[in-house]
Amino acid sequence: MTHAPAVVIDNGTGYTKMGYAGNNDPQFIIPTCLATRESQTTGNVASKRGIEDLDYYIGDEALANSKTYGISYPIRHGTVENWDHMEKFHQAAIFHHLRCEPEDHHFLLTEPPLNPPENREYTAEIFFESFGAKGMYIAVQAVLALAASWANGKTEQTLTGTVIDSGDGVTHVIPVAEGYVIDSAIKHIPIAGRDITQFVQQLLRERENSIPPEDSLEVAKRIKEMYSYVCPDIVKEFKKYETEGDKWFKRHEFIHSVTKKAYSVDVGFERFLGPEIFFNPEIASPDFLTPLPEVVDQVIQGCPIDTRRGLYKNIVLSGGSTMYKDFGKRLQRDIKTMVVARLRHYESVAQANLHKDQQIQAKNIEVNVVSHKKQRYAVWFGGSLLADTAEFNSCYHTKAQYEEHGPSIARFNKVFASIQ
Amino acid sequence: MLIDLHPANRILDETLRERFNGSAEKLVMKVADFDGVSYKLSTPESKTVLHISMSIACYSQLREYGAEDVLKREYGDLVESSPEDGFDVTLRIDLENLPEDKESLIRKISYLKRNALAAPFERAFKSQLEGNESELMTIQYRPDEAFYIKAQHDRVTVIFSTVFSEETDRIFGKVFLQEFVDARRSPATQNAPQVLYSAREPPMELRGIPGVHESENIGYVTFVLFPRHFTGPAAEGCISRIQLFRDYLHYHIKASKAYMHSRLRVRVDSFLKVLNRAKPENPDAQKEKKTARFVSLSVLAIALFCLGFVHELTLVRSSCQWKNIQAIMI
Amino acid sequence: MKRTACCDVLQLQAQPAIPPFSSSTIIRQAPTPPPTTEKNDPPAPTRSHGPRTRTHIMSNTLRPYLSAVRSTVTAALCLENFSSQVVERHNKPEIEARATPEVLLTPVTISRNENERVLIEASVNSIRVSISIKQADEIERILCHKFTRFLMMRAENFFILRRKPVPGYDISFLITNTHTETMYKHKLVDFVIQFMEEVDKEISEMKLCLNARARIVAESFLQQF
Repeated sequence: MTHAPAVVIDNGTGYTKMGYAGNNDPQFIIPTCLATRESQTTGNVASKRGIEDLDYYIGDEALANSKTYGISYPIRHGTVENWDHMEKFHQAAIFHHLRCEPEDHHFLLTEPPLNPPENREYTAEIFFESFGAKGMYIAVQAVLALAASWANGKTEQTLTGTVIDSGDGVTHVIPVAEGYVIDSAIKHIPIAGRDITQFVQQLLRERENSIPPEDSLEVAKRIKEMYSYVCPDIVKEFKKYETEGDKWFKRHEFIHSVTKKAYSVDVGFERFLGPEIFFNPEIASPDFLTPLPEVVDQVIQGCPIDTRRGLYKNIVLSGGSTMYKDFGKRLQRDIKTMVVARLRHYESVAQANLHKDQQIQAKNIEVNVVSHKKQRYAVWFGGSLLADTAEFNSCYHTKAQYEEHGPSIARFNKVFASIQ
Repeated sequence: MLIDLHPANRILDETLRERFNGSAEKLVMKVADFDGVSYKLSTPESKTVLHISMSIACYSQLREYGAEDVLKREYGDLVESSPEDGFDVTLRIDLENLPEDKESLIRKISYLKRNALAAPFERAFKSQLEGNESELMTIQYRPDEAFYIKAQHDRVTVIFSTVFSEETDRIFGKVFLQEFVDARRSPATQNAPQVLYSAREPPMELRGIPGVHESENIGYVTFVLFPRHFTGPAAEGCISRIQLFRDYLHYHIKASKAYMHSRLRVRVDSFLKVLNRAKPENPDAQKEKKTARFVSLSVLAIALFCLGFVHELTLVRSSCQWKNIQAIMI
Repeated sequence: MKRTACCDVLQLQAQPAIPPFSSSTIIRQAPTPPPTTEKNDPPAPTRSHGPRTRTHIMSNTLRPYLSAVRSTVTAALCLENFSSQVVERHNKPEIEARATPEVLLTPVTISRNENERVLIEASVNSIRVSISIKQADEIERILCHKFTRFLMMRAENFFILRRKPVPGYDISFLITNTHTETMYKHKLVDFVIQFMEEVDKEISEMKLCLNARARIVAESFLQQF
C-alpha cells in the first residue's frame, strides 16, 4: 500500500476533473453538481433521523435524476459556496467513483486564484476530519497549469509565467512568479466558451434556417468545437471565403434531437468569427471592449518589473476555450507587436536625451505563447504530473500535522519551486 | 441512494466501455481500488490489444486458496500465463475479436478484484456443502487487517480483524458494529447471518494463529454463515457483500462524520444568529442619524440664537449710542 | 491607585472572601440556590482560596442551574475600560493577562453535578466563562469534542469565543469591555445561556442520530443476505 497513487481532484465551476496521479487524462470528468431531495435543502437537518442525507447523486447521475431531485451547484465562480454539498460531492467521488479508502491515499486539490484562506481550512477540515485522508495539498490552479506546460518538452521547467485560463464561464489572466501568484495583477475577462457558443448561435440564426430552434444551442456548440479556428486577419479571411468558398465552407450533418431526422448545416464565417471575439470583443458584446492580447499586456505591466521578462517569455494556455487552432500563434503575434512598439518608443525617447556616443540598445523582449496537447485539462494534468513525482510526497500536509496544528496548516503551502 | 458500495470497479467499467465502442487508441492508465488494489491498463503490443493487470496485496495467499482456478473459470483464455511485471494477474483482450456480448465481458472484468477475492470463500463454501471441515484460511488483505475463513461441519465462519486508526473512528465503529450485532432482532433481517463482535480479544477460532494478537485498538467481527446463505445463487451476492464489509463500514463511518459536519454547520449558523442579536442593529447608521439630527438641530439653534443675538446687539448698540450721545451732550 | 489599595485592604481584612468592588454584587445576586436543593447544599464554604463550589446533586436542576449562571454572569458583566498597569498605553483583558492581581476577582464555579459546571472568572475589564459539558460516555465525549472544536475553528465569527478552552473545561468565552460596549449585555448573557441549553440537546441528538444511522446501515447490509 506504499505505492498507492495520489488522487488528483480539480473542482471547477462547471466540471470536476478527477483521477489518479500519473495518468495523462483524468478518469472522470463530471459536472460539479449534486442532486438532492428538495426538502433536505430547505428543511432543518436537526429533525432528520436516518440516512436521508445519503439520498443524493453527483455528476451525470445527478442530471439524469433532475426530475425528482433538486439540482444544485456547490461551486460558483470557482469558489465553493455550499460546504455541505461539497463534502457530499467529495464523499461520493471518493467512494463511488474513484473507489479508494482515503486513509491510504494522498489528495491533491486545486483552488482558484484569490481563494479566501478560510476555504482552504474548510477543505482541510473535510478531508482530515471526515475522511481521515493520509495527506492533502491544495494547489493554485494557475501554478498547476504552468506545470502542465512542461509536458511540451520544449520549454524549460519554470514556475514563472502568465497563465491564460479560459473555461466555460470566465477567462482569467494570472501572472505567476516562481510559484507564487501575483494576486494584485490578476485580471478577468467576461468572455469565455459560453459567449463564443452564443455568438456562433447568433450568427447561425441570422444565416441558416434549417436548424430547429430547440437544437440551435447544441448545434452551435458542436460547430464551435469541431470547426473553429483563429485567423490572422479577418478582412483577408472574409476575402478567402468569398473567392474560394468551396474550400472553406463546410457542411455538417446533424440529427434532430426529437424527430431523429437528419438535416445539414452550412458552416461558414462563424468558423473564424467565433474565437475572434477574444481579439475583437466589440463584434459580440458592447460591454467589454479590451482585446485579450491587450489584457495580457496590461497584466504583465502591472507586475513587478523584475518579473516581466519571465512573464512574457512563458505565456501558458489552459482550459477548453484556448484549444482553437492557431489561438496561440495569433496571441503571440499581437502581444509581440505591442511589446515591440513599446520598446521602440522607450528607446527613441531615451536616445533623444543621450549623446550620440552614449547610444544604448534595448534588449529585445522575448514573447512566447506555449500551447501543448494537455491544454484542455491542463490544471488536472499538471496536478497529476506533480503528484506523481517522489519529491512531492514531502509537500503534503499530513494527518499528523493536522492533528498537531489544526486546519491552519492548509494556509501555508510548502514552496513549490523546490521540487522542480 | 448511495448506501451500498458496488463490487464493480467503475473506472474499469467506463474505460472498457469507451474502448470497446470507440476507436482504438494508445492507452496507459494506472488506477487504484479499495484495499490497496491497483490496476494498470495498457496497450503494449498494439493499439488493439488491451492488457489489464491487477496487483493485490494478498495474492500469494489467494493463489494458495485457488484464485487461479476461479479466474480461469471466469475469464478463460483472457488470462495471461505470466502476469506483467509487478502485477499478479494480467488479462489480455483483443479489441478486434470481441465477443458479441460486450456488456457481460465489461461486467466480468470490472469484477476482477471481487473474483480474485472470491476464491477462499468458494473453497470454504464447497467443502462445507460436502460436509468437510476446512483449514483456517488467512487473507491479509491490508497491511494491518486480515480476514479469516473456516468451514465447519454446519457453518462457515468469516472473521474480520478491524483496526481503526483514529479515536473518533474507533468509537463510531464500535457503535456501528454493535448495531450489526443487534440488527438481527429486527424482522427484516431474520435470515441474515449472525454477527459477533469482540473488541480486543480474538474469538476462539483464531487462538494461536500467527499474526493474531490482542490489542487495545483491534476488534474482531465474526460472520456465521449457514448453508442457506451460500447454496446456489445466494453465494455470489454473499461473497461480494462480505468482502466489501470493511469498506462498507468505513464508508459509513465517514459518511456519518460528514453528516455530523452538516449538522454542526446548521448549529453554528443558528448560534451565530443568536449572538448577532446582541449587536445593536447597524450601530453606525444609528449614530450617523443621531449626529445628523444633532447637527441640523444645533445649526438651527445657532441660527435662531444668532438672529436673537443680532437683534439684541442692535438694541444694545442703540442704547449705547444713546448713552454716548447723552454723555457727549452732558 | 486608590482603588487597588482599597482592594488590598479589603482582602486582608475580610477573610471570608468579601471580594473587591463589583464582585460584591456577585455574592449578592449569585447562586441563589433553589429551595429544594438547599438541604443537599453544604453551607456556603468560607474558604478564602480557590474557587467556591456549590454542588447540586439533583436531576431536575437545569432551570435553577441556568438561572444561577445567568444572574452570576449578568452581575460579573460589570466591565469598564482599564489601562494595563504593566505596559503603557496597552489595554489587555486582565483576566487573561493576570498581571495585576488586584483587579481580578475570586472566580466562581457553579456546578450542576460533577460533570456539568461553569467557571466564571471576572476582572475589571473582562470575564471568562468556561463551560464543562456533560459527557456520559465515550460517544458523547467524542461528539462534544467534535462540536466544540468545530465551533472554535470558527471563533472569528463568534466574537466572544475563546479559541482554546481553559484547562479542565470544554469551551470558554472571553467577554471584554469592548464587547459589552458594542453589544447588548443582556443579549450576550442570553447567548451564553442558550448555548448551554442547546449544546446538551444537540449532543444527545447527534448521539441518537448516530445510533439510528448505524442501525439502518447494519440492517441494509444484512438484509440483502
